[in-house]
Amino acid sequence: MVSYFRKNYILLITLSVFVALFSAAAQGMSQQDFIITLLRGLAVGSITFLVASGFSLIFGLLDVLNLAHGTLFMIGAYIGWTVFVRPDTFVDLLTPLALIVSGFALRDVYPLLASRIRLGLRMKRILPWALALVSVLILGWILPRYPIAYWDTGNFAQSPVTYAFMASQGTRLPAPLAAFTEISPALGLIGLLLASLVGAFGLSLFASETQSTFRMTWKNFIGFAILLVIGLVGFIFNNALTAFLLGLSSNWLFLVAVIVAMLSGAGLGALMESILIRPLYSRPIYQLMLTLGLSAIGIEMVRAVWGRPEFVMPKPVFFDGTGAGCPATSFADWWANNCSTILLFEGRVRVYNEIFIPLVGLVVLVSIWILLQRTRLGMIIRAGVQDREMVEALGINVRRVFTMVFALGVGLAALGGVLAAPSMGLSNVMGESLFLNALIALAIGGLTNYPGAALGSVLVGLIQQFIIKYGQIGIPIPFTEIIFKPTPPLVPASTVLLMVIILLILPNGLLGKKE
Amino acid sequence: MEYILDVQDIHTFIGQYHILQGVNVRVPKGSITALLGRNGAGKTTTLKSILGLTPPRNGKVILEGREVQGMRPFEIASMGIGFVPEHRAIFRDLSVEENLKLAERSKGDYLRKKEFIFGLFPDLERLISLSGTALSGGQQQMLAVARALVADNRLLLIDEPSEGLAPVIIENMMSAIRQLSSESTIVLVEQNFLVASKLAEYYVIIEEGRSVKEGNMQDLANDKAAIHRYLGAA
Repeated sequence: MVSYFRKNYILLITLSVFVALFSAAAQGMSQQDFIITLLRGLAVGSITFLVASGFSLIFGLLDVLNLAHGTLFMIGAYIGWTVFVRPDTFVDLLTPLALIVSGFALRDVYPLLASRIRLGLRMKRILPWALALVSVLILGWILPRYPIAYWDTGNFAQSPVTYAFMASQGTRLPAPLAAFTEISPALGLIGLLLASLVGAFGLSLFASETQSTFRMTWKNFIGFAILLVIGLVGFIFNNALTAFLLGLSSNWLFLVAVIVAMLSGAGLGALMESILIRPLYSRPIYQLMLTLGLSAIGIEMVRAVWGRPEFVMPKPVFFDGTGAGCPATSFADWWANNCSTILLFEGRVRVYNEIFIPLVGLVVLVSIWILLQRTRLGMIIRAGVQDREMVEALGINVRRVFTMVFALGVGLAALGGVLAAPSMGLSNVMGESLFLNALIALAIGGLTNYPGAALGSVLVGLIQQFIIKYGQIGIPIPFTEIIFKPTPPLVPASTVLLMVIILLILPNGLLGKKE
Repeated sequence: MEYILDVQDIHTFIGQYHILQGVNVRVPKGSITALLGRNGAGKTTTLKSILGLTPPRNGKVILEGREVQGMRPFEIASMGIGFVPEHRAIFRDLSVEENLKLAERSKGDYLRKKEFIFGLFPDLERLISLSGTALSGGQQQMLAVARALVADNRLLLIDEPSEGLAPVIIENMMSAIRQLSSESTIVLVEQNFLVASKLAEYYVIIEEGRSVKEGNMQDLANDKAAIHRYLGAA
């Protein structure tokens, strides 16, 4: 115990300075202001944590700095919005997406197939490109003709902004149903499947491995079969599914949106790691360029699909009650009326933003902690952060764990995105500032330290919200008449300043270990 | 003679450096074979090349009749190789028990082998919940060897088991390795010739990335000139 104090005295002093600062801040404002600012800080911290923890898991195990993480956060938000506001579009997209991805689920099988084909050197070089080209051509021909009920960013009456507004008014419009007119359904489905298989095979040839102990088992076909079933079910029961989702209460629909966004994020992460990042493990600079490029591409794609204007994601009715009995005065009261706000210590607190989001953050914090500490996967991750080579030498397929961790990290970012959408709103740049916050939080907490990510995120959230609050009420400077009001530019500056100070005192961050 | 491992003329590059320039090692089944040589001769790289951690560019690695060069390390290890690396590579953030459990290749390996492992290293049993950092050098070495025993490994690659250990602990380690050799074949890298000569039946000398001499340990131990020529000391 004593040795713990002796070893970590700098950390303990730093932390107690923080506690002192926060209690000083509490003296300077009314109790209700303090509580609200505290909760807001925790909320911002929670969203930051969802991005930061995924980033830090990926960096810790894979040594990949995923600069696209903020963009993936944003994409999660847009996907969640689509499911929540336009479930019909989501159902229409289900089939083509499942079919296009299905080919990649067979990636373990392709090397075997490739080793059976004997080709000349020149053919070997051409074949992957040829296959990729064929796949792109098929997709390019079928996709524009595949019926998907869709918004129109060029037409304001049918733009996402309008749909978002109408959904927030509680109207779900009966969307025009899309139907196969230009191509026959069979041609569409088979074409997409073919394009997927050909394209995935071609891509796998680019990164062909020399030799493998691979043996064909039914396990390699599970993912493929699942995706195929999803695709077919989505196709056959298209209208029923749409009607079902539109008929759901917005609470359940919100849950569906969160789950879909998370899973899509995870799937996107898995594809990104196994196709794009895997060939670059030995070239860190190229990884940076790749993820930076992907980030830019992602932003432009979001602009092309959802348009530039910002719009909102309505809150589920569970958190959106107004009128009689609101604001709620206690949690029992809130449970009865589902008010959007609740009175805590005489201050009005928004239930979704300032209570629900921090709670989800806490749940994620604990679940990932349990995953890391109590499961075999977590054990492999913790060991792999220190020494990947040795983990592999024990006979563990580290690369598969890499894919899982990448999927997990991106899934967490997407979860953060969809959770933040109702409180932050959706915009093309929502990922960037948050990603910067997350990086600062990690630098503060210790780059690859999981509790450090949580601590750093909460500190960043708190300091931002307190500075914003003091921008409104002002800080009286002692012994003078001056009241100092921090201006908005000081908000991001304050977090960077915090980071600089902490890194000067503790170069590895608060909880980071010495290298 | 039946060879469990047959390394044929491997060449390994690390970056642009041509580290192994033709190494041949044949390991008879059930034996202890020592890789000897000066610092930087390429002994550790040879072990890593067998496992695929530093994959050889040319040459063959034949494990129980099967060519394994070019396979991924986890695939090679899963065929039944336990690896005890230089500097032990104990996982610091894992407890002693977790370090052992991590090495399971099928569920229940650890429970099955527990008794045998703690019989060999009684010290580890009482340290079971400590973290990897809290161990002394000798305890870490025991854990590193124990970790290689959790799965059913027919071949153990042990790198410098006596490095940095007190003489008493080296004695313990040697008797443990001797006990293990009744169960599995062992390839040992050892700087300390005295330790190597007491343990191993066969030797291969590696010099500047090439295997230059092999044979019975007994013969080498009597050949003072060769020892002086290849190993400098003794």
